[in-house]
Amino acid sequence: MAMIRNKTRHRLVAYSLVLPFVAIFTLVFAYPVIEVIRLSFTNAPLIGAGDWVGWDNYIRLFSDRLFYISVKNNGYFVLLTVVPTTVIALLIALAVNRLSGRVQALALVLFFTPYVLPVSVVTQIWAWMLDFQFGILQPLFTAITGKPVPVFRNPHWVMPAVAVVTIWWTNGFNVLLFLAGLRNIPGELYEAAALDGATRGQLFRRVTWPLLWPVTALVLTLQLILQLKLFDQVYLLSEGGPFNSSYVLLLMVYREAFQLNHGGYAAAISLVVFLLIVVVSVLQYQLLRIGGGRK
Amino acid sequence: MKFRHFALAATLSLTALAGSAQAQQSVTMWDFFSGGDGARMKALVQAFNDSHPDIQVKATTLEWGVPFYTKVRTSVAVGRGPDLMSYHLSRLPLGLSEGVLSPITDTDLENAGVTKDDFFTTALKAAEAPDGTLYAVPFDIHSIVLYYNKTFLEGSRFLDADGKLTGIDSLADFEEAMQLAKDKGAEVPLTYATADDGGVYRVFYTLLAQEGGTLIDDQGNVLPGDSAQKAAEAIRIMTDWHDKGFQPEQALYEASVALFTAGKSAFQLNGVWEVPTMKDFEAQGKLGFEWGAVEVPKLMQTRTTWADSHAFAIPAQPEGKPMDPEKRKAVMTVIGWLETHAIDWAAAGHIPAYKPVAESTDYAKMEPNATYAPLADHATYDPRSTIAGVASPAYDAALNIISPAIHGYLSPEDAVTQMTQELQGRLQ
Repeated sequence: MAMIRNKTRHRLVAYSLVLPFVAIFTLVFAYPVIEVIRLSFTNAPLIGAGDWVGWDNYIRLFSDRLFYISVKNNGYFVLLTVVPTTVIALLIALAVNRLSGRVQALALVLFFTPYVLPVSVVTQIWAWMLDFQFGILQPLFTAITGKPVPVFRNPHWVMPAVAVVTIWWTNGFNVLLFLAGLRNIPGELYEAAALDGATRGQLFRRVTWPLLWPVTALVLTLQLILQLKLFDQVYLLSEGGPFNSSYVLLLMVYREAFQLNHGGYAAAISLVVFLLIVVVSVLQYQLLRIGGGRK
Repeated sequence: MKFRHFALAATLSLTALAGSAQAQQSVTMWDFFSGGDGARMKALVQAFNDSHPDIQVKATTLEWGVPFYTKVRTSVAVGRGPDLMSYHLSRLPLGLSEGVLSPITDTDLENAGVTKDDFFTTALKAAEAPDGTLYAVPFDIHSIVLYYNKTFLEGSRFLDADGKLTGIDSLADFEEAMQLAKDKGAEVPLTYATADDGGVYRVFYTLLAQEGGTLIDDQGNVLPGDSAQKAAEAIRIMTDWHDKGFQPEQALYEASVALFTAGKSAFQLNGVWEVPTMKDFEAQGKLGFEWGAVEVPKLMQTRTTWADSHAFAIPAQPEGKPMDPEKRKAVMTVIGWLETHAIDWAAAGHIPAYKPVAESTDYAKMEPNATYAPLADHATYDPRSTIAGVASPAYDAALNIISPAIHGYLSPEDAVTQMTQELQGRLQ
């Protein structure tokens, strides 16, 4: 009898502990997701109800030229950022790890500061530095290409430029992750390997790299998700131009929803973006796990 | 004792407050005027409040462009909109499709003390729905004008005996004048914001309209018929100006204005709203040259210029909850008063849409405003389309496609093809 009562109480306690999470999750995630799915099958404006239009929004999306341009640009941006930022963060972490005490703290602060800045400040700093008429970086461009380059108005430069800004902005966090990973590798392993006559290169390849792999996989996946959600930098620096060279999926969502008042269509695009991110990131994480497991 | 005293005083003052509140109408107004326009509108509202103890206008300035119109749309949808708001007439078609505007009836106009005949036809037409219902009261007509720096033109055939710009009746004339200025040392003979959506759009649209081209017709066709060739021609002309070094490369708005005020440009194609800037600089003695502004000359086949209007509109009310007639009357009183006092607004460069002010002697004395004011009669407004007007896909296309084209990244024909595809796609 007492046991049964205990079990009931046990369950009640469990429910009461889980309930706040479930309630908040339902309110701010599950309900909006269901609403977005429902909305994507209607021709609703931004606010208010619309009529059911079936698959129309999706048919329209998959025949929209801008959609394919955006997907291509998103893909290009991922290529430009995900692996480079991971490599750079790893190199910085390895370097910072060799420092100690106050010097290390100072180096960390320097690398982490950009991450603290809001995106509007970051883009403003870079827009000034790269300004076509007065930017302090333009002499550099003149030295290399022979003339100043309007980086955010040039179809070839715009995506790489946004990628550089993004890497500069977000890299500090990755450095921290890698540093934490490096500190988790026991020092004895290096000592033992060194006693066996391992060179610096071998130490990295045989000890650091395999043991750091879980962190690397995590950084790669987090970066992939983050960079697929590109919006702010493009909106603030190039507005998708020139001739859509930097048009991305979320900019399309924004323009359709807020400029043209097409709530239903915007919902359909955002749902496709959501599914795209889920599929690509799950796929990538699994691949990385298999890759790491072989080692 | 003390407490009773206090309570009594409090009750009394509360009663007094309630009494005055009943007698007084409070009108909430949202506008998007910043800078010089904002200061003038605030002064107008202040003057209104001072002279009308029974109506108090509470004006809030919000961010111009997409944020403003998004806020209007969302607030109207939930019935929490303002009582009165500023509106661009070029934005009216989208406003109508969203159902955020309340029709202005003849009774309303009567309450404002104005009639339809008091307004310029071009502006009035732009304030009406296709069926002729009025949805906004035009306040001004603003356009681009041609500013000129006399220093570069002295001694040439382009200045008359009074020192006014003359002799530009064709594209060839204009290019001759620009070449002359270049030879006389103008760094960039003609400045406009070549890397800004509005700057590029207004010049492009003016050239297109002067050729008789249509950007979007009433059936929703983008660049129908030979308008595509005309658009390509307009872009070709702008590209040509770039190639000849007549216009600045990748100039943002502020930089483009600075080129003119610093005396590095002989001409500027920019909005009438920069007239106060010029006057202020002149008054402070910072200009160093004599200037003037005229209607954009006839460069192509027709005399016309792009124009838009600021207007006043009343947001649609939630169903079954119409605005209190007294309040609506107060709102119309505000509009009527602002219209009749538009001479202060005209100082911001805008041409009053209300003819009694635009044709007054006070206005005739205002220079260079009176010189370019005739453009109001043959202005070309933005296409009546949900994707045209301020902060619209048409403006985006100017930055996204035309601006790169005039800098040589796209041929004029490719630019037109892309623009047609893009805008037609948005119209679905």
